[in-house]
Amino acid sequence: MTEVPLLQAIGLVKRYDGRAVVDGLDLQLYRGEVLGLLGPNGAGKTTTLRMLYGFIKPDSGQILYQGRDFAAERQALRGLVGVCTQEDTLDADFCVRDNLRIYASYFRPQQPDLQQRIEQLLTQFGLLEFAERFPPELSGGYKRRLMIARSLIHRPAVLFLDEPTTGLDPAARLDLWRLVLRLRSEGLGIVLTTHYMDEAERLSDRIALLAKGRTAAQGSTRQVLGAVLGEHIVEVSREQPQAAEVQAWSRQHLGKAPGEALDGWHLALTGAQLVEFTAQFAELRFAVRDPTLDDLFLALSLDPTPTAAEP
Amino acid sequence: MPTIPLWRRLNPHLTDLWDWRSRAVFWRNAQVWGRNWRTALIPPAMEPVVSLMAFGFGVGSFVGSMTYTKEGAVHAIDYASYMAPGLLAYAMFTSSFFEALYSSYVRMFYQKTWDGILATQVELRHIVWGEITWASARALWNASVVSAVLLGLDLAGVLHLQLAWLPLLPLLGFVVGWAFGAFGLLFTAVVPSIDHMNYPVFLVGIPLGLVSNTYFPIDRVGPWAVRLSQLNPVYHLSETCRAVLLGGEVTGPLAMTLLTSGVLLVVCAGLVQMLMRRRVLGED
Repeated sequence: MTEVPLLQAIGLVKRYDGRAVVDGLDLQLYRGEVLGLLGPNGAGKTTTLRMLYGFIKPDSGQILYQGRDFAAERQALRGLVGVCTQEDTLDADFCVRDNLRIYASYFRPQQPDLQQRIEQLLTQFGLLEFAERFPPELSGGYKRRLMIARSLIHRPAVLFLDEPTTGLDPAARLDLWRLVLRLRSEGLGIVLTTHYMDEAERLSDRIALLAKGRTAAQGSTRQVLGAVLGEHIVEVSREQPQAAEVQAWSRQHLGKAPGEALDGWHLALTGAQLVEFTAQFAELRFAVRDPTLDDLFLALSLDPTPTAAEP
Repeated sequence: MPTIPLWRRLNPHLTDLWDWRSRAVFWRNAQVWGRNWRTALIPPAMEPVVSLMAFGFGVGSFVGSMTYTKEGAVHAIDYASYMAPGLLAYAMFTSSFFEALYSSYVRMFYQKTWDGILATQVELRHIVWGEITWASARALWNASVVSAVLLGLDLAGVLHLQLAWLPLLPLLGFVVGWAFGAFGLLFTAVVPSIDHMNYPVFLVGIPLGLVSNTYFPIDRVGPWAVRLSQLNPVYHLSETCRAVLLGGEVTGPLAMTLLTSGVLLVVCAGLVQMLMRRRVLGED
């Protein structure tokens, strides 16, 4: 892609008590794209997000919005950013409509058509009938809608969605997915973090995989899975007579014990490794399937330093 | 090399006081309060009435008459009239101090209002200034209500005050409210939980307010108390209100009020900015 990224992070570093929580992180986000920011707990996602939307300043590295330096033009560029945090930060002292109005007062330039913009967002997010209610009276799904609507009041170019569907029922999740996809189709660049791998897979155009404060892999879901896990997942039951041999094979050929699953082991293999495995264990009963982001998440939880080539 | 003005070196965040973002935070609080202004009338209106009844007229009947020196001569005054200006000063102090202490804490910690605002163009330093200025506005409001009560009681012949400059005293409340607001917010920045507010309330706020010539002349405690009081802006504020309402010499106490409040504001505002960054953003 030759277009200037909406958001670009170059070599971001953030240390707490001398320990690098984010350690040279790079990523890009383009217009009309959803970037899934994934990684296990402690990978540095929250710190990365907080640096990107300006809560905290990086110790080194650079953040560019539309090619402009965030450190140099902080106030103006924060106007390009919409933030929907995981935690509900709605203003409980104001009704739904006034939440949008008061939030708009924290941005300059002021929206010339603010009243119209408020009504547009209330309609777009299905909040019109609750416009005079206060946030504590809303269901979890509608609170989330209001959080997102509020973060769009100043017409940002980039939207950060931090675990937007955590705690929602399936119907409310589906509703929010539709909203996210619609916002993407309107040209917004969206950075999404989530612990639901199906959500990341369905919504993200690309994913950036974080591990130990670095971008371990970045690209389409398939590219990242292929780079980090391999092409196939082999599922083996622990009850099999050759279980011990499978463990030993894994250590010898993959350099680590097989991944733990509920009732067995998962081995992430390339095509060549699968051929070798099949030849070695001709009598073994096992299943082969495509890798998913759940496998990736599980693998990262066990070994947070994946070896991956940038796809 | 550009020269940095002294006032900017003393507090690098002082210019943020009148930034549009600080004003946005101020107006947010003002709008919430504006919906309940009738309810907000009750405490500042009732507190001086109850205090005057209990102490001014109740305890005052045992005290008898007191003295107040003006224009070099000692005059006898009733205890209620002695106490009334102190009540006004005390209202200015408590309204701004407690607003910054409790209400700001609730907005910061329980309601997560600050977190929401921080996701916009408003920075933490603007939130701090917005809160401090809002606390001083509460001092203006409460002082206005207390002044109206004192005016009514004087017109009813219950108090014996000189009222010519009374309308200006709430404005003084607004000025000193900045210092007391910043002082209150200093504790908001460090208390681990709302239960720990007892420390600043009972060990700092209430003693500072009461032992300041509000209810009784501090020289009765001893010369050491008078010397210590020179550092207390509430003492000077109380003396200023008394000088204005009893016809004493105003310049000296007013200058001391502005000086001690100014020092308190500059020191506390700088510290609050630093401590809040640590508390809210986790930065050193």
